[in-house]
Amino acid sequence: MPVSADLARRLAVIVGEKRVLARVGELRAYESDGLPGYQARPSIAVFPGSRDEVVAVVRLLAETRTAYVARGAGTGLSGGALADDVVLLGLHRLRRIISIDGENARAVVEPGVVNALLTRAATPYGLHYAPDPSSQTACTIGGNVAENAGGPHCLKYGVTLNHVLALTVVLPSGDVLTLGNAEGESEGYDLLGAFVGSEGCFGVVLDATVRLMRNPTAVRTLLADFHSIDAAARAVSAIIASGIVAAAMEMMDAATINAVEASIYAAGYPTDAAAILLIELDGAAAGLDDDVARVSEFCRSAGARDVRVATDAADRARLWQGRKKAFGAMGRVSSHLVVQDAVVPRTRLPEILARIKDIGERERVNVCNVFHAGDGNLHPNIGYNANDPDESSRVHVAMREIMQACIDAGGTVTGEHGIGLDKLPYMDALFTPSTLGAMCALRDVFDPEHRSNPGKVVPVHSCREWHGAPAARGQPS
Amino acid sequence: MSSNTDSTEVAALADQVRSARAGGRTLRIVGAGSWLTAGRPCDDSERLEIGALTGIVTYEPGDLTLTARAGTSLAEIQRVTAAEGQWLPLQPMGAQTGTLGATVATSSYGPLASAYGTPRDQVLGCEFVSGTGDMVRAGGRVVKNVAGFDLVRLVTGAWGTLGALTELTVRLRARPEVDHTVAVQLAAPDGDVATAAWRWLRESEHEPLAAELLSPSLARSLLLGSDACLLVRLAGNEPFVRAAGDDVRSLGEAMRSDVEAWHRLACSEPSASIVVRLSALPSRVGALWTRASAVAERCGGFAHATVSRGLVRCVIPDAGEDSVSLDAMRELVGSDSLIAERVPAAWWRLFAKTRPTDALSLGVRRAFDPGRIMNPGILGDSP
Repeated sequence: MPVSADLARRLAVIVGEKRVLARVGELRAYESDGLPGYQARPSIAVFPGSRDEVVAVVRLLAETRTAYVARGAGTGLSGGALADDVVLLGLHRLRRIISIDGENARAVVEPGVVNALLTRAATPYGLHYAPDPSSQTACTIGGNVAENAGGPHCLKYGVTLNHVLALTVVLPSGDVLTLGNAEGESEGYDLLGAFVGSEGCFGVVLDATVRLMRNPTAVRTLLADFHSIDAAARAVSAIIASGIVAAAMEMMDAATINAVEASIYAAGYPTDAAAILLIELDGAAAGLDDDVARVSEFCRSAGARDVRVATDAADRARLWQGRKKAFGAMGRVSSHLVVQDAVVPRTRLPEILARIKDIGERERVNVCNVFHAGDGNLHPNIGYNANDPDESSRVHVAMREIMQACIDAGGTVTGEHGIGLDKLPYMDALFTPSTLGAMCALRDVFDPEHRSNPGKVVPVHSCREWHGAPAARGQPS
Repeated sequence: MSSNTDSTEVAALADQVRSARAGGRTLRIVGAGSWLTAGRPCDDSERLEIGALTGIVTYEPGDLTLTARAGTSLAEIQRVTAAEGQWLPLQPMGAQTGTLGATVATSSYGPLASAYGTPRDQVLGCEFVSGTGDMVRAGGRVVKNVAGFDLVRLVTGAWGTLGALTELTVRLRARPEVDHTVAVQLAAPDGDVATAAWRWLRESEHEPLAAELLSPSLARSLLLGSDACLLVRLAGNEPFVRAAGDDVRSLGEAMRSDVEAWHRLACSEPSASIVVRLSALPSRVGALWTRASAVAERCGGFAHATVSRGLVRCVIPDAGEDSVSLDAMRELVGSDSLIAERVPAAWWRLFAKTRPTDALSLGVRRAFDPGRIMNPGILGDSP
């Protein structure tokens, strides 16, 4: 689609000239998202400042049958917010927290509200927003809804889907509607559930009503260190089997520990450990220390050299910062990074971690593991130099094998980052042709012209695999 | 993902759907057949039987997930998981002989939703035969999964109108170490006592697994005293449950009960009953329950409320469409969200205001069941 000077002019009428970018130099900042290795230049970038402006922009795009990609903070890790010669619709200016209802523990927010700022605003009420992706100081609620974002504390509190009560959205057609019911139960199809995690393919969020959680009275953060990854994985299994529900249970391997400790995010992790577990327990004060004692014992029985409990809030924050900034710390070690997000059934963790190690050694690549062990949600990351064709090719071979091993173990390729562009090649291995066809049929209901984030999530070829009548593809009446 | 279910049986169901679609015949999906219409104006010319699809397909206790065929009863799942100290904490109203497939298809749940959520929070994957006759395998077996569009949420609560569920994977939980139930005696149902209960739940650090306000006649029939009560389930380790027990006594006199009270509550609804659900913001649930209790008890029924979800369940004897029940129903319909779960067929048009009529829902139906052959009319739309 060629850059249309006329479209840029009409968009400028809606949002103001300064909020429309159409020159190559200006658009460079929007050529990539949080995942290095992919670049695509939008034809135009437009930044509405209000809900009415968003709706007017989407209606203009509908009228001119223009494709677009919605973008929040651009921190996504799947290439999902890349706009390849289509319009990029930036939503970060819609950052109003519309209301907080402390009594009923919920908030209504615009899509550009930064995740961590919502929690900060909820603090005076003794509440917080539970999904906490590691990018939470930058990523936005609109993006979290689009990706069904997770985070370490989703182990106990659930992912974004479990915290969204209602959404007001504008469909690609320009129609505005409410999904879900903020004030009670809903009946009928769970269109809200279908929309959360649709990666911007079903429409644009105008506002979200989200559930807030009460801050726990007591929190204990444990750091356990191990001689072997296998021992750490066994500790995880033992804790899960015991029925103790940790708020978070994160694992980091030696490569990650060393990257973190060499960076400004150094958290005091033991650099000679093969793996560490960062475990958080929270809730009421009564009984919490009993759980801490049991968890410590499970770690020691599995072979932990040491288990220590954070002494105070500052110590706890330092331990968490190392974990949350681990991806950033890896950036210091290598110029490029492949970030993966596979999930395996939790009992398969020891076996899969051993397999990842073998694959890494064979392909001579440096795999760093930092992940949500309690959910079985792995993040095997490989730092490399993209200008070295031989190394790049080995990295890609290793990644493909790791992903296949996770699929073979009964897992999936993404737990929280989304398919986007990056994981599109794995969809045929994960789902049957008719399942992919069903996904296409669902997308057609929301976006019959495939103008909202085109080319993402479901491979185009699979859209022929559905036996719906041709009439089902048309505009819903 | 490859199918674990005996695929020839599922393929036969798919054949039947395709043939019905080609022949313009409508299908009623039948599992255990415990209740087929819930009074809904449903029309069908033949049955699509999934009741034979029973049994656990895979259960790996260490993963806390279980895959079962859709016709498996909740009781069977509870039996198998209890042996490992685990459970599927749904416990919807009614006997637990109902099937997992029907529970998910109708998105049914009970008081445990306070802590564990509803089927939409607990189903990880499913297999279904769509109204187009396609076999679809959505989601997966892992507890975190965002691969592709969420067909699992779409078919959960769709009452079979998009397809017939044939297999489900659910998330399990470890059973708590200590699981105590107490009944806190309240004065007659009024807004103040209910609001006090809600406030306690909101402010106490000892969050219970379930907390249900029971109207007086319901409390009496469950042998929980003579007045309204708050039935509370406190679970966790021993020190927690002890502290929580002391804490809940600040609300009123607490009588020790046991988990059987929850089973009795689930089975408290006579089969010939009118059941409606009202919901509101949790802060308004006290007033809502008070109003619903008064209306229901006046005509021989009862009402109970899941406080933290702002949900009131109102049960009225079905006295053959008499004017007393009809007046009661009319009184309940107000500004609150009302979902008619079971009402006499003749009343459907009066009360089933929530049937999906929006363009998106109609589009979804058309995409997955273009011939409108799957359970036509069961959502209250015309067959």
